[in-house]
Amino acid sequence: MRELKAKLFQDLSDAVVDMDEEKAVETSHQVIDEGIDAYEAIEKGLAHGMDRVGELFDQEEYFIPEVLICSDAMYAGVEVLKPHLKGDEQGEKKKVVIGVIEGDTHDIGKNLVKIMLETSGFDVFDLGRDIPPQQFVDKAKEVGAHIIGLSTLMTTTMDGMREVVRILEETNLREQFKVIVGGGPISQSFADKIGADGYAANAADAVRLARKLVS
Amino acid sequence: MSTSVNVVFQPLNRTVQVEKGVTILQAARLAGVLIESPCNAVGTCGKCKVKLDQTSRSSIRPYGLHHLSPEEEEQGYVLSCEAEVLGDILVDVPSRSHGTELKILSHGQSVEVTPETYFQKRYEPKDDRTFVFAGDELVGLEQSNTEDQKYGLAVDIGTTTIVVSLVDLGSGQEIASASALNPQSLHAQDVLSRITFASTKRGLMMMYSELINELNRLIERVTEKSIVNREHIYEVIFSGNTCMIHLATGKDPAPLGKYPYIPEFTGAVHLSASEHHLGVSPFGLIYVPPVISAYVGADITSGILASQLHQQKGITLFVDIGTNGEMALAVEGKLSATSTAAGPAFEGMNITCGMRAGAGALEFFQIEDDKTITTKTIGDQEPVGICGSGLLDIVGELVANGVIDKNGRFVKPESTLLPASLKERLQLRDGKRVFQISRQVYLTQKDVRQVQLAKGAIRTGIDLLLRSKGITSDAVDRVLIAGSFGYHLRAKSLIHLGLLPDSFDGKIEFIGNTSKTGAQAFLMNQSLRKEMEKGVTEIEVIELANYGDFEQVFVRSLGF
Ligand code: FES
Repeated sequence: MRELKAKLFQDLSDAVVDMDEEKAVETSHQVIDEGIDAYEAIEKGLAHGMDRVGELFDQEEYFIPEVLICSDAMYAGVEVLKPHLKGDEQGEKKKVVIGVIEGDTHDIGKNLVKIMLETSGFDVFDLGRDIPPQQFVDKAKEVGAHIIGLSTLMTTTMDGMREVVRILEETNLREQFKVIVGGGPISQSFADKIGADGYAANAADAVRLARKLVS
Repeated sequence: MSTSVNVVFQPLNRTVQVEKGVTILQAARLAGVLIESPCNAVGTCGKCKVKLDQTSRSSIRPYGLHHLSPEEEEQGYVLSCEAEVLGDILVDVPSRSHGTELKILSHGQSVEVTPETYFQKRYEPKDDRTFVFAGDELVGLEQSNTEDQKYGLAVDIGTTTIVVSLVDLGSGQEIASASALNPQSLHAQDVLSRITFASTKRGLMMMYSELINELNRLIERVTEKSIVNREHIYEVIFSGNTCMIHLATGKDPAPLGKYPYIPEFTGAVHLSASEHHLGVSPFGLIYVPPVISAYVGADITSGILASQLHQQKGITLFVDIGTNGEMALAVEGKLSATSTAAGPAFEGMNITCGMRAGAGALEFFQIEDDKTITTKTIGDQEPVGICGSGLLDIVGELVANGVIDKNGRFVKPESTLLPASLKERLQLRDGKRVFQISRQVYLTQKDVRQVQLAKGAIRTGIDLLLRSKGITSDAVDRVLIAGSFGYHLRAKSLIHLGLLPDSFDGKIEFIGNTSKTGAQAFLMNQSLRKEMEKGVTEIEVIELANYGDFEQVFVRSLGF
């Protein structure tokens, strides 16, 4: 049994990395049939696969299309396993409020980060694009977020990020949320300058950063 | 304790006193010392590096060093836009490696127009004077008979380069032309960082006046060359993208940088040349052709005019391949247009060995049938970097020859059947796979990714623009490629890259700098202005981001 379990988890992980949606679904069914714990299968199988995908992305082996296809395979597997999760296992996820700052409508980078965070076990609240700074703060308060993630592709809108930090400070909420920033024109020193908690250069990096900040 | 410190810039030996905590770049700008800063101090381009000696190094706070190699750090280089000055320092500003000589495309397809200029001159023999009319209005008097001395300028204000063409308003002949780097690009390379730079009054003034100064220098050059009296230049056409038009006329481009991207200034007007300090006739005028939208500018209006897009039978696609891929589609004369954020990769920016199209830039790359490599550089010298056309050639050829797979990845040399001549060029650099082109120049995996993003953006624009009119790519009759790349680009590379669909093969024409040639047409015939002013209002502008599946199409367009 233990061996079978390990093999199925490995298969799930491989299915994600190999972009094999069918295999992810098939293996997930097998997991259920064998009475293996669905939660563990997601954790050690599918999510494990996405971790490897993140690494490959980091090493420039995989690019945006590959990451998206892999995440499709992952989600397909999750769909099968989800009904078999025991209730208490679904809670307690760390929450992230994410969006593209006001003035900018380019959201592909943000969407990628969202997928990578979700597949790594975060609960992501996606506000969309062209979002005023105040709205990030309001949403974060409302859902009790751990992290606020801000993205922009346009140098002209970067100041909105500073504004989010400023609002948090002004309303004495700065300690409650971690603020992370990313996007084409953003750099570590910009993050430092506006007093954000971190900068991520890409989606895989964002996951690493988010994990570090909430651990 | 004093809070001001002295910064000395070498080799100019210029000193400036600044408050502690300002960056070296800010100090340089105050001192009037030029340090190239294409990303406008965002800290992402890494081009603003300067060198400090031992003692100076302890008097700064360096901040992010991630754009410098360990050797550079060792030698005392810092990013001037990030390093803050804490004490007196001596800064060594590296000379610009590629000089100012750029290869600038100034010719392009043009249209025959009947001369019908806005300015007219009439000699009155009885009082030996020449009357100058702008439209119907008498605007000036000149001594003696100057009727045959009537000139105008067609100016293409590109994000990177400017071209000034002196035209005889009688014959329509170009008498001389001159070009130069757009000086604004040294402070901020792309349109967005330029908008940011111009967001302060001082920044806007600087962008505006530097450009006008450069234009005046170019005007001097073309008139000197041709012994034309500048006082006899009456009309100037400003063609360029929407942001450049704003900056050239001193208007705040801020609204272009924020959704919903509404331009404040839409052209189709005359402005006084003397108010804008242009060194031409005191009653000279500037005409700005109508702007189509925030990201489809007067340069495209000029391009439409020069290529007669609106008059074409059948289906014609016009694409300007540049930082903002602007494009227009004509279906039996009905026009729609869009633009797409391709990013600066095509200008050689964000590419490890990227550079502008200056001396030493690799601009041509081909893998021959026997798998040997032919390259050509500007100025025929040892390659020092890769410019836009070279970049597209390299990636296109590597894809066609199986060195890069369809997902954009370099193939693993050990597991492929590549011929030895290509295989040996796949090398490791700092643990990452690169394709070695010459001793100094190579292409990294990250560079390929940048090309994928840029070409994916343009291809997405093309696909969605065609789709919005219910047209498939094989129904397109002609494809016109305009823009600063112009004739250097090769159809083959564009198709290998998937920047253009396969079915465009055999239909592609390179029409060059139509922003300039269109401006010349505007200059020569004022009725065309009315025609285009009206025409532009009928162009349907498609906002790609509002297409629900923009993202899917984009992602699909990333592969080769
Ligand atoms: S990194 Fe300093 S100007 Fe770009």
